[in-house]
Amino acid sequence: MTSAAVQLAALAEGPPDPELLRIRDLIYQVAGIFHPDNKLRLLQDRCGRRMKERDVKTLREYLQCLTIQPSRQAELMALLNEITIGETSFFRNQPQLDALRQIVLPKMLEVKAKLPYRRFRVWSAGCSTGEEPYTLGMMLLEDANTRLKDWTTEILATDLNERSLAHAKTALYGSYSTRNLSAYYRQKYFSAVGEQLQVLPVARTSTSFNRLNLCDDARMTFMKGMDVIFCCNVLIYFDLASKRRVIQHFYNNLLPHGYLFLGHSESLYGVSDDFRLVHLPGTTAYVKAERTRGESRKV
Amino acid sequence: MTTTAATRETLLKRLDGLHQIPTIPAVLTPLLHYLQKPVEQLDVQKTTDMIAQDKSLAAQCLQMANSPLFGHWQKVDSLREAVIALGFQRLRDIAMSCGVLNLLPKDCGGINPVAFWEHSLGCALVCRHFALKISFADPSKAYLSGLLHDLGIIVNLWVLPLEFAAAFELAKAEGIPLHEAEERVLGFTHCESGRLLAERWDLPPDLVEVVSLHHTPQKSPTQSALVALVGISDLLCRLRGLNYGYVEEREVSIGEQPGVSVLAQHCPNLRSFDWARLTFELDSYMDEVHTLVHSVYRT
Repeated sequence: MTSAAVQLAALAEGPPDPELLRIRDLIYQVAGIFHPDNKLRLLQDRCGRRMKERDVKTLREYLQCLTIQPSRQAELMALLNEITIGETSFFRNQPQLDALRQIVLPKMLEVKAKLPYRRFRVWSAGCSTGEEPYTLGMMLLEDANTRLKDWTTEILATDLNERSLAHAKTALYGSYSTRNLSAYYRQKYFSAVGEQLQVLPVARTSTSFNRLNLCDDARMTFMKGMDVIFCCNVLIYFDLASKRRVIQHFYNNLLPHGYLFLGHSESLYGVSDDFRLVHLPGTTAYVKAERTRGESRKV
Repeated sequence: MTTTAATRETLLKRLDGLHQIPTIPAVLTPLLHYLQKPVEQLDVQKTTDMIAQDKSLAAQCLQMANSPLFGHWQKVDSLREAVIALGFQRLRDIAMSCGVLNLLPKDCGGINPVAFWEHSLGCALVCRHFALKISFADPSKAYLSGLLHDLGIIVNLWVLPLEFAAAFELAKAEGIPLHEAEERVLGFTHCESGRLLAERWDLPPDLVEVVSLHHTPQKSPTQSALVALVGISDLLCRLRGLNYGYVEEREVSIGEQPGVSVLAQHCPNLRSFDWARLTFELDSYMDEVHTLVHSVYRT
């Protein structure tokens, strides 16, 4: 489509429906995930699927399902599921990965260079079927002979769902999960198994999978010494109190100046002031800010 | 921003001696003067006739008027319709945008003029959006300021094309802000050269300040909110993909920028501002600006 045609197509859609904007604001307020104007059509599609399911005809009625009806909590969860469905894939958020590799990693290695243990730990919290931790593993392998030479890299991948973890451990993926994979990574780190692709052992060795409930305070206390935490599209399902507890754990689990990466368009606004929002090229992250009183806060 | 006396002298000489130095396009001065009048004294036909004098400006205005970026969602086929649909103020914004951006030299010495259009127009729109969000008194002035803030780049392109191209190449190669590269290569930045042109054009003092201090809003003698607002918007554009066609490889903590504390003196709601949401909101501008500029530039 030519750019002029794109413009005309945008005009044909007309201004955003005010009810849709209210749903957008509700989702941001409750789940912390924002749909900018250019993603509103996607949100409308997702709402449309739920409306069909619920036999609801208008967005106004559907907004009521999300706000007034007794089943509103369950409906919100169902909508969030629709929103995040199919999100998981290798190299899902390239600007985030580039920022980790080009800016965050060199900075952290410099800070840690003088420490006796040369270890770089990344935690993929809510790793689902494993695409995210394996992506991180491959990316870090790319630096294994250069800036990560003589460093031990560990990727801890956790999820609540046993079936997802079992899938992750097989390291076998179909075309949907591998749709963003470049020829370079496909060739270097995958082998074909029937119609699927399997991650080669070289890209699996640094990753360990474990079942973990992020709300399990006792076990969360043991996830110490992290340099970077990835927690994408997971917190959106938690209520505010649980979110605050998890974020507090993340804060305590991260090393000083550690980084927390959330999903695309996901925010901690109104959840925690302990992290400092930073802008990196085309993405954002949260940096563990020093507390003035020095001590880590109890959860 | 320290300019050696000798370099500054050279710059001034070249600026004085060069006949093709940008002047405000002939059609714009009377048009903008006319559109400053109270709305009740304005006439649709007269406005249309004034713009129609410049065929290329008229075509560009029509393209812009058809973009959702300017808040209109029905196709307009004539300038007259555009004036009626968008109102005089929006049309002034559009005419000014086209007029200023057409000042770029035909040959930008390997630098893509589309990228400059995108940055200036994007910054103008972001300034207006940000101004509305923080209840800044004059969103229209914010738009104009965003549009003009990098006037100095136009000057550099005309007056010192080779030296500026070298600065631009350095900025691109090292992923550093353009003004830092200019400082290293030229000994001064577009803020300084922009101020010379802004003064020559006899722009109002607040706009001169925007042009000369948007990278150092803390130095504004009046602690101008407008300068700070433009500085922050400019930074957000550069971090989110509207950066003259290259990426600044760095991490920025928006909340800790000097401009934020300046602006917070004027806009108290900035103290607990949701920077993440603003950032996500701007993402939709980036695509639209890209589409619009490409279609306008071809007319």
